[in-house]
Order: sequence, then C-alpha cells, then structure tokens
Amino acid sequence: MADEKRDKRASFEREALIHLDALYRVARRLAGNEADADDLVQETMLKAYRSWDQYQSGTNAKAWLVTILRNAFINEYRRRTRRPETVDVDTLEPYAVFPEVQEEDPQGAFFDRIVDDEVLKAIDDLPEAFREAVVLSDVEGMSYQEIARVLDVPVGTVKSRLFRGRQALQGKLYRYAVEQGYIKGSVA
Amino acid sequence: MNCRECVEHLYAYLDRELTPELEAEVRDHLEGCEPCDEQYDFEEMFLKFVRAKCRAENAPPELKKRILRELFGE
Repeated sequence: MADEKRDKRASFEREALIHLDALYRVARRLAGNEADADDLVQETMLKAYRSWDQYQSGTNAKAWLVTILRNAFINEYRRRTRRPETVDVDTLEPYAVFPEVQEEDPQGAFFDRIVDDEVLKAIDDLPEAFREAVVLSDVEGMSYQEIARVLDVPVGTVKSRLFRGRQALQGKLYRYAVEQGYIKGSVA
Repeated sequence: MNCRECVEHLYAYLDRELTPELEAEVRDHLEGCEPCDEQYDFEEMFLKFVRAKCRAENAPPELKKRILRELFGE
C-alpha cells in the first residue's frame, strides 16, 4: 500500500506537476486575476491527483490537465471572475496589419518595443473563444488536434479561431505601437 | 494558389498543420512571390514574439508549495 502511494506520487510528480507553470499561464489568461488563477490551478491539481488512475501513463498529460482546468473554470469560475462574454464571436473584426507596415517596417521591429504586460493585456482583451485558442497554441505550443480536444470543437474551428484571434491581437498591438509612437503607421 | 489563399493558410503553414499537398502549394507560392514571402517572415516573427513575451510568466513558488502541501501533506 505504501509502495502504491509512493508510485502514484512519483508518477504524478513526473508527468503532471512538471506542467504546473503551463497550467498557471493558461489559468491566468482564463481567470484574469492572480488569486483565481492560483485557486484554479490548485483545484486542477487536486482533481487530477484524485483521478490519476484514469490517466493513461505516457499519453498527453498536459492536454489532459488543461481540459480539467478549463472545465473547472467554465463550471465554477467563469460566472464570477469575468463579465459574461458580450462579444459575438462572429463580430471580431478581421484586421490585417502587414499591409499597413509593409513599407515602413516589414520586419515588424516595432513589436520588440512593446513590453510583456502590454502583450498580456492585449491577449486578455480578446473574446474568450479566441483567447483560449491563442494561449494554447502560441503560448503553450499545443497542436490543432490537441486544442480541438480540449475545447471540444472541430479542428477547422481551431484553425479559424487562431487566424482571427492572432489578427485581432496583432491589430491591438499595432494600434498600441502607433499610439506610443513606435511606428508611424497609417491608422486613421 | 493566389496571394489571398496563401495568406489565409499562412498561420497553419507556420504551425505545420497543413496537409502535405497544401503545404507544398504554399511553399511553391512563397518561393515565387516576394510580398507573401515577406509576410511569412513577419507572421513568423510575430508568433515568436508572442510566445517569448508570455512564456516568462511562471507559477508563483508559494502556489507550488501550497499544492504540494495539499497533495502530499508537506
């Protein structure tokens, strides 16, 4: 019995706890504040440990954990941590930055002047459906297939959310860079 | 493949998520089209930039301690 417990702990540390930072980053972007992100990650780890025998060793622990975290967020946190999503996902305006900067800064050097906090804030401002796709792909490096499973949507939806989410994020950062004078730009 | 189609597939191309056939079409287009090739570099840089800016954030040490305490009673 003691051996079993020790083995469970060892495998959990090896396969689940190593994803703590990744879970925290996802939680932070979903929940929007540190305290709720902390609680969400803690709850995820406790739930994961309780159902560790349902996890098949060697499969995708990170995706499994992110799924638990996202479900916990939807069921218990979303209502109180964020305002209800008022943005219709179809109204996210497509915005192509490259044609705007093609002449002045085709390498996008202006991005480098934007500080971390401003990037995180711009991600947090994305509607949730786009925000989670961007975070899972661009921050956590998950594949479309993994993201589709976590979000329970078709792969094609992941592709289109990423396209539009990234464009929207780029547009926000571009407008910020113009406001700050990092780039002249051609924003009206 | 025209420029509009190429740009539409650019992110999935960068993410290595296209079918081999479509990937080859995008690659061929990029080789022969300078503006799209420039945009490819721009988008690639942008994705690296986002990742670099966001990966710096890690779980606070206090949270890790709290979780270990809850899990294993230490």
